[in-house]
Amino acid sequence: MEDAFMEGIDQDDVIQILRMLEESTFDELHLEMGGLKLVASKSGKKASPAEGMKSDDGESTESKVAVEPTVQAREERPDIPQPSDIEENGFIAIKAPMLGTFYGAPKPGAPPFVEVGRLVSEDDSVCIIEVMKLFNTVKANVRGRIAKIYAENGQMVEYQQPLFLVEELEGPAEMGEEENAS
Amino acid sequence: MNGISRVLVANRGEIAVRIIRACRELGIESVVTVSEADSESLPAKLADRAVCIGPPAPMQSYLKVDTIVAAALGTGSDAIHPGYGFLAEQPQLAEVCAAHGLIFVGPKADDIRKMGDKLYARKLVGGLGVSIIPGSELVCHLGEAAEAAEMVGYPILLKAAAGGGGKGMKIVEQPEDLRTLFDEASVESLSAFGDDRIYVEHYLPNARHIEVQIIGDRFGNVIHLFERDCSLQRRYQKMVEEAPSPAVSPELREAFCEAAVRIAKQIGYENAGTVEFLLDQDQDRFYFLEMNTRIQVEHPVTEMISGIDLVKEQFRVASGDSFSVSQEEVKLTGHAIECRINAESPNAGFAPCPGRINEWKPPAGEGIRIDSHCYSEYFVPPYYDSLLAKLVVSARDRDQAIQCMQDALASFVVSGVDTTIPFYQFIMKHPEYLSGKINTRWIENSLLKEYEENEGNQFR
Repeated sequence: MEDAFMEGIDQDDVIQILRMLEESTFDELHLEMGGLKLVASKSGKKASPAEGMKSDDGESTESKVAVEPTVQAREERPDIPQPSDIEENGFIAIKAPMLGTFYGAPKPGAPPFVEVGRLVSEDDSVCIIEVMKLFNTVKANVRGRIAKIYAENGQMVEYQQPLFLVEELEGPAEMGEEENAS
Repeated sequence: MNGISRVLVANRGEIAVRIIRACRELGIESVVTVSEADSESLPAKLADRAVCIGPPAPMQSYLKVDTIVAAALGTGSDAIHPGYGFLAEQPQLAEVCAAHGLIFVGPKADDIRKMGDKLYARKLVGGLGVSIIPGSELVCHLGEAAEAAEMVGYPILLKAAAGGGGKGMKIVEQPEDLRTLFDEASVESLSAFGDDRIYVEHYLPNARHIEVQIIGDRFGNVIHLFERDCSLQRRYQKMVEEAPSPAVSPELREAFCEAAVRIAKQIGYENAGTVEFLLDQDQDRFYFLEMNTRIQVEHPVTEMISGIDLVKEQFRVASGDSFSVSQEEVKLTGHAIECRINAESPNAGFAPCPGRINEWKPPAGEGIRIDSHCYSEYFVPPYYDSLLAKLVVSARDRDQAIQCMQDALASFVVSGVDTTIPFYQFIMKHPEYLSGKINTRWIENSLLKEYEENEGNQFR
């Protein structure tokens, strides 16, 4: 896909086309060449980026044209922080199994289930998610060290929203242990 | 809007888009619930915020009352609009909303429950002097069904007490078929509604489906916005709707519109609803069928002939205001037709056809309205219904509306998935449709066969 994209038209061409569109009186541009489909629009139809994410040049996205090469753009859409953004090099996210209110401790005033730096194994409870007075305990389902806590106490989390980042503990010994256990 | 500043739209597809647009025009913020399969959908992009509520399967996302209410509370919404389908007619959602101080943009839980029980509704309406189709009380076993069938006379219709959408509904032409069909109806009803209660109704072979749009406020006022004729159905699913009905005299119209208002007033109905009637064309009589306690798929047809935005009116009455118009100000102007464009293959028994839409070029122009969530490159997920768009046209009269629909269908370009567009083109040219001489069985009894014989020559 990438190769086909680059063959007919290169980055500079795209930028030039977009400049022409910006200076023109047209709102939209559809261009199809072989495997490439370029759809650009001035009206800013794209969803606004999620909080904390900036467009790469820091400019306002209002008048900027949005470029959507046919297939690639879909995976790259930066609406919600995708697990792939944060999961790398042995880090894994614990995600919300349901929408609800996140609680880091078993009850108000109690010490939290986990803190940054704490070691957890699969069956350890890491938080509670409340859905209409129903309290669901969330297990780590992973063995490792808590590296980050994304969710805030008392805040609503969405389905599959990353709650914690865990540095996976690997190594022959532990892998062996895991296999024995299962 | 008085009391509503942020709405949770608990639906997907074209109706979510429709509601979000109405919110925007009213200056209300919108939050849309999405399943994982819809996180990139048009509603998700158009709404002020999209909240992921669960995996694609509706049972784990769009049908979860608690999750949806938690999403409303967690996003600071003060109202929930359920759209149609999913939780729209589940009294629990309306109840839980009330318990948490959320406004449910729809009728009271009690009214949903009452009218959802088809037998209760029949009794209530019969007591108001509106004709109901001759029928039975509940029949508990085959013997009772046979007795009831003899009493109302064959052909009969077996119907689920909790029914809707044709599930658990069976036509029985003769006594010999009763045993098999009774069992089928009970099983279907149980699996669709968790309720296997069945009753018997006389079956009208030459009927039209006529429904009256009503809306009520909390002060006891109810107005009607005339009728829609939804006689073109396949397997009890509406395909084409139009307003006004081409088969109704002004006197008849006045009579059933008045009956619809009387029914709604009797229960103190609030918000938008639809009272459905069957019009027996052999006797020119109408019978109450059921009441739907939601905004319906085909509501744009009514909007086109009345000029009234029903979704905005829903928000008005839900927030405690009255309607923007009086009954006298509601005028029927022109003629409107709607075709439901589905991702189905009419040449393969209407098999659903989900997948990636390559090209999506809906028609545009004078008198054409498209309600849709689709766009080029949109992936039609396989988990939900197959409605892609509602193509609605309006014109001065029926002939011109049909002409407009023919042109609009011809210029509607969709590639990548099969659609029902060719089938609608066939209908819009058919002499019996043009002359308005059809009934609820017309598509299944004669048109489908004709289409199968013709499409080889005409559409290749």
